[in-house]
Amino acid sequence: MSMKLLVLVVKNIRRNLLRSVLTGLGTMVLVVVVILVWSILWYLDEQTKEKTTNMKAIVTERWQMPSRMPLSYAPELRAGAARRPGDIRPQDSMTWQFYVGSTEPGRLRRETALFIVATQPEKVLTMFDELDTLPPDSPDRRPLEKAIQAMKTNRQALIVGRERLEAINKRVGERVKVYGMSFKGIDLEFDIVGTFPEGRWNNLSVMDWEYLNAAVDAYNRRPGVRPHPMTERSLSIVWLKVPDMRSFTAVANQIASSPSFTNPQVKTETLASGTAAFLEAFRDLIWGMRYFLMPAAVVTVCLVIANAISLSVRERRKEFAVLKVLGFHPVHILSLVLGEALLLGVVSGLASAVGVYVVINHVFGGLKFPIGFFSTFYIPAQAMGWGLAVGAATALIGSLVPAWIACRVRVAEIFARVG
Amino acid sequence: MASAEDAFPIPNGLCVQLRGIHKYFVRGGERLDILNGLNLQVPEGQFLALMGPSGSGKTTLLNLIAGLDKPCEGEVWVRDKCISAMSEAQLARWRTRNIGFVFQFYHLLPVLTAYENVELPLLLLPLSASQRRQQVEMVLELVGLKDRMHHRPGQLSGGQQQRVGIARALVTDPALILADEPTGDLDARSAEEILDLLVELQRSLHKTIILVTHDPRAAARAERILHLDKGRLVDHLPVEPPIPVRGSPRRAGTE
Repeated sequence: MSMKLLVLVVKNIRRNLLRSVLTGLGTMVLVVVVILVWSILWYLDEQTKEKTTNMKAIVTERWQMPSRMPLSYAPELRAGAARRPGDIRPQDSMTWQFYVGSTEPGRLRRETALFIVATQPEKVLTMFDELDTLPPDSPDRRPLEKAIQAMKTNRQALIVGRERLEAINKRVGERVKVYGMSFKGIDLEFDIVGTFPEGRWNNLSVMDWEYLNAAVDAYNRRPGVRPHPMTERSLSIVWLKVPDMRSFTAVANQIASSPSFTNPQVKTETLASGTAAFLEAFRDLIWGMRYFLMPAAVVTVCLVIANAISLSVRERRKEFAVLKVLGFHPVHILSLVLGEALLLGVVSGLASAVGVYVVINHVFGGLKFPIGFFSTFYIPAQAMGWGLAVGAATALIGSLVPAWIACRVRVAEIFARVG
Repeated sequence: MASAEDAFPIPNGLCVQLRGIHKYFVRGGERLDILNGLNLQVPEGQFLALMGPSGSGKTTLLNLIAGLDKPCEGEVWVRDKCISAMSEAQLARWRTRNIGFVFQFYHLLPVLTAYENVELPLLLLPLSASQRRQQVEMVLELVGLKDRMHHRPGQLSGGQQQRVGIARALVTDPALILADEPTGDLDARSAEEILDLLVELQRSLHKTIILVTHDPRAAARAERILHLDKGRLVDHLPVEPPIPVRGSPRRAGTE
């Protein structure tokens, strides 16, 4: 019976093929919108989800954004302010100083801007999110290791994210001069030695912190020049790796109770809460995506399906009446109509999920949607499930009323001629 | 309402019994009486024709006998069941096995082949695929359409579609066939063929057939003709059928 009903469902969908195809396409487009928005929200949620093990903590200036701490804080912070026996030390650490510059003197444009993190080169593969989990046999790992090795021997080496490299129209192996914007008057020359794997770090660049600090020192040594304003306040973030929440709490307490960090004061957060705080600036945008755009797309899919199924039901009222005459129970008719919508929704949802996954990830190289330091988003494999679920759920919701109308068809009224 | 002594199963030999049937509709606040205290008895195996002008309540009466509508007053008995007291779910199950319905406009599902259309009612019964196939092929052969069983309704003539409709009505082997103007949409030749088929079914399979028609020539093929006017069976005109009919004698059973 169920197999025969399925055959009938398929035949009914094929009955008005143009309408079914158009409904399917409408559903697909809207499911694509849902998946794109959902992918971004899902990624941001993942980034702000607290881990319980292998955690990263970030130390920043407590009261000021952007954070500008004295560079002298670096050694003690990297040790987690451990000063007594028994104090917890982080498993790993790195410092970040931000150097923003332009390849064009005096002008910062999208095509010339470089956002460079000055850090310890060897930390790129141990502390940078996602790079620290690159498997040893990953094809992306070897070139990155080579670039990091080049940074260790050449202080002027620079790793540039793929999109940035393309934007400034440079290639690996070329030299680039960057005019300082955040460090006014400190212009730096770099040898581009490599790039990051496609993804998270597409728009970031990394330089050796010693090169930046040596350039600041050199600036200050120039005769007749006042010390550079960034000299004492160039440290933006200190990253610490701790094994678990207990260690994080201990390290955070050590830093908070240390007399070394009083002017300015510092705060220690988990990466997740730090990211969440950073994303506060995009709260309205994210709210709009989550609570307006997504529901609007879902409701529109429901309406598209409701419209198509309503038309189909209206045209087939006599058929449903005939089925009832033949002995079909209202539940059978309800199942028939819901089945048509469900099949249409599931096929469209799954097709659009597979399509958007392949096209966005493998053809376009990710979804370019800059939110803070997140620039490119990828469609996760879970999107297959989302597409299927959205397609099925919207189809069921959208067809519920028409299906109910179909199963409540009154035979006597349909065939009534009162005669 | 039916009297107390009537509230028992119908006597042996009767297929349909209607007791004190009232049916009215309310349209625009006005009560429109369709059937007024109608009584009817149809013996097993009888071929009955119901005639009457438009609006006389023929189709309403047919719908009541099929359990597609309920009387406002009175009882409808088909064999040993008072169907006017059944729920919609019970009626749906009951119809599958007990009623075959033939429509004026065939009402075949256009997306299904003749075979699949005929198979539809069998899907509701606990039969295996091979049992279904056997039954469908048998009735399609009976109506002379076995060679067209994989054709869709659009590929069949009106007469052939009506044959499929009759095959669909027969496939569950119901005791009662209700035919609502089955020849109303057909040319004279096809109409004649369909009537021949109905008469043949009644004779060979001993089915009870209630035929609603406007056409006196179609009615003349029945064993018994009843006229419905203003909601009452006002006339009973036994006719001599053109083909001698074997089986039950004509009997009065109406008022």
